[in-house]
Amino acid sequence: MPVLLRIAFRNLLEHKAKSLIIGVLLALGVVILVVGNSFMDTAAKGVKDTFIGNYTGDIFVSGKAKSPISLFGVQSMGGMDATPVIPDYDKVLARLQSEPGVRLTTGQVTGYALFSPKDSDNQGFAMLFGVDPTSYYKTFNGFTVLQGKLLQPGDDGIVMTQSYLDRMKKDQSWAPKLGDTLLLTGMSQAGFKIRAVTLDGIVRTRNDSDATSFISWVNVDTARILQGLTLGSDEETPVTPAQKALLSATDEDALFGAPTVIESSKKTLAAEVAKVEKPAAPRPVSIADEGAWNFLLARSASEAAARSAIADLNLYFAKEGIDAQAADWKTAAGPFAKSIDVIRIVFNVAIIIVAIVAVIIMMNTLVISVIERTGEIGTMRALGAQKGFVRKMFLTETLAIAVVFGLIGLLLSFGVIGIIQAAHIKAGNGFLQILFAGDVLKLAVKPVSVAMSLVLVALVAVLAHLYPVSLALKVEPVRAMQTE
Amino acid sequence: MTIVELRDVRKVYPLGKVEVEAVKSVSFGLEKGDFVSIAGPSGSGKTTILNMIGCVDRPTSGSVVINDHATKDLKDKELTTLRHETLGFIFQSFNLIPVLDVRENIEFPLLLGRERVPKKEKAQWIDYLIEEVGLSQWRDHKPNELSGGQRQRVAIARALVTKPEIVLADEPTANLDSSTGEQILELMKKINREMETTFIFSTHDAKIVGLADHVIRLRDGAVIENVRNGKNMAATVSDLMENSVHEGPSATSSQSAPKAGS
Repeated sequence: MPVLLRIAFRNLLEHKAKSLIIGVLLALGVVILVVGNSFMDTAAKGVKDTFIGNYTGDIFVSGKAKSPISLFGVQSMGGMDATPVIPDYDKVLARLQSEPGVRLTTGQVTGYALFSPKDSDNQGFAMLFGVDPTSYYKTFNGFTVLQGKLLQPGDDGIVMTQSYLDRMKKDQSWAPKLGDTLLLTGMSQAGFKIRAVTLDGIVRTRNDSDATSFISWVNVDTARILQGLTLGSDEETPVTPAQKALLSATDEDALFGAPTVIESSKKTLAAEVAKVEKPAAPRPVSIADEGAWNFLLARSASEAAARSAIADLNLYFAKEGIDAQAADWKTAAGPFAKSIDVIRIVFNVAIIIVAIVAVIIMMNTLVISVIERTGEIGTMRALGAQKGFVRKMFLTETLAIAVVFGLIGLLLSFGVIGIIQAAHIKAGNGFLQILFAGDVLKLAVKPVSVAMSLVLVALVAVLAHLYPVSLALKVEPVRAMQTE
Repeated sequence: MTIVELRDVRKVYPLGKVEVEAVKSVSFGLEKGDFVSIAGPSGSGKTTILNMIGCVDRPTSGSVVINDHATKDLKDKELTTLRHETLGFIFQSFNLIPVLDVRENIEFPLLLGRERVPKKEKAQWIDYLIEEVGLSQWRDHKPNELSGGQRQRVAIARALVTKPEIVLADEPTANLDSSTGEQILELMKKINREMETTFIFSTHDAKIVGLADHVIRLRDGAVIENVRNGKNMAATVSDLMENSVHEGPSATSSQSAPKAGS
């Protein structure tokens, strides 16, 4: 064994208390990093798999909005911004489908609605995903039908999740039943819209969680009408100058004083009488704008293919002047994905604080060690050891302790993870269900995370040894001649 | 052949707001193969001179020439190389590396150089040195398992392992009882004769000065006597013995005094 390693390991044994202080810190660091990272990885994978498989796909195309946009709408301060429709939808869809690696695509209209049974005051709230059932169920196949059926093209139906109905029953002592007719009240900039739908199906999604259970699925036309995405909704009504003058009148004389108005009224009355004598024509209802889609969602063959397609699509939109944007599942998942990022940031900040404290404690311990070994360092220098040798000696000792206790920490981490797995920790709420990717926490250990944790701990150790080693390098060989 | 030369060497140490002149314009030369004693009472400047010869300290003024190398002009790295290649050290407190056993301690200086000695040759040489210092049975023991005399024997073997031309010994017997001290000195003298290694040792013990071929007597940082090859040696030793009786036993006194003045 090289002399430096020999000296390093024997010094670790010789100075057991100091080695233990540093080692315990390092091992603890590894445990925190490995267990924390595996939780983070599990949560990230859970959220990713849940959202990609159930709701967002790999590629998310939307119109542009001033505020961040996700599958759940525009996240504006007031929460009232309308979700834009994708301009030049057919062109965008054709481009998306032509991207290499894109396997499946589907469109979606998102909206919110209150629902209530026909003859009852009971009420519930639903986030509506308006979909084309044919393409949607091919793109997202994680549905298990518990009662009834999935949406059928053209049906005025609604599909809800069992978990949401269970929660409603628990919280409100009421929940709709399969076959119930529900009145959906949607609110948009075009005003309130009401549609009657039948509860056709009750489902469970893959990795079902309370947090997303309020999502209900309706046919896209139902969603469009509730969201005011109807033909003519944004057309201007032509008004004659006389009608304009009438609309701007402010007093009774102006309204009824002028003979022209009376004349006009007589004519109108005659026309109305003539209409009544004729058979009545059916009253026009709202007709959904079939080209209006808020989102396009696509499943891709791989993450790399999705990344490449997203970049390509954005270039295409910019080049063609299409006011649309392509993004990944994280953007689509909006606040859900962000919550993972926030947790990771909090975790990383905590790790940084722990690392700083560890560096300070280790540094102090190593400084004491250098002071205690001043004579030894001086002797080595007097015998012909260059400064580089002293530097290497301390680095070897630091790395030796980092590796030994890093591995001990790793074993402890696996032990802790094993205990967590055996404990079957249950998700107490919907958010945790998403994080856990199910009802029970199952931590996944990624080799990359383990390797990164060990590297990070070694870096902390190396960082901690820099100042003490600078002190060691200042030890002059003459110190060897001085008796302790 | 002069192997060490000090020319008008001064060493001044700051001590608070005042300066202490530990060595005052000292000049002398030492011949290759000599067994040299730098003698004098505590605070006379023995260790300071030894430090400057050992290239672990630099003079404030004047020059120290070791084997034709003027140490003043050398950088830290060059001084370290000179120490490694030309000098061997025997310390008063033995200064063995506590985590290494006898064999490893002796081998240690060989691991510091750029020159790689063949493994077999190295092993034979170390074994020879271990035998020479009488520690064959203790080769696998750690320093804390050895007596003071045994530790100093390890230090002697370690000082010789790189086959240096000069071995410096700072009060090598100060921490040993008189009989062990004599044995150590005899061992050093034997090696000096057999290997023709120049030994320079500092001491204030008059009894061991008698073994030297060349005695340099110091007082208050200045050379008061420089005697070589038996000339006036008897008088020098007798004078030293008389002084040491007046000073009383002080095996470690030079070390407990401020370094600047020792």
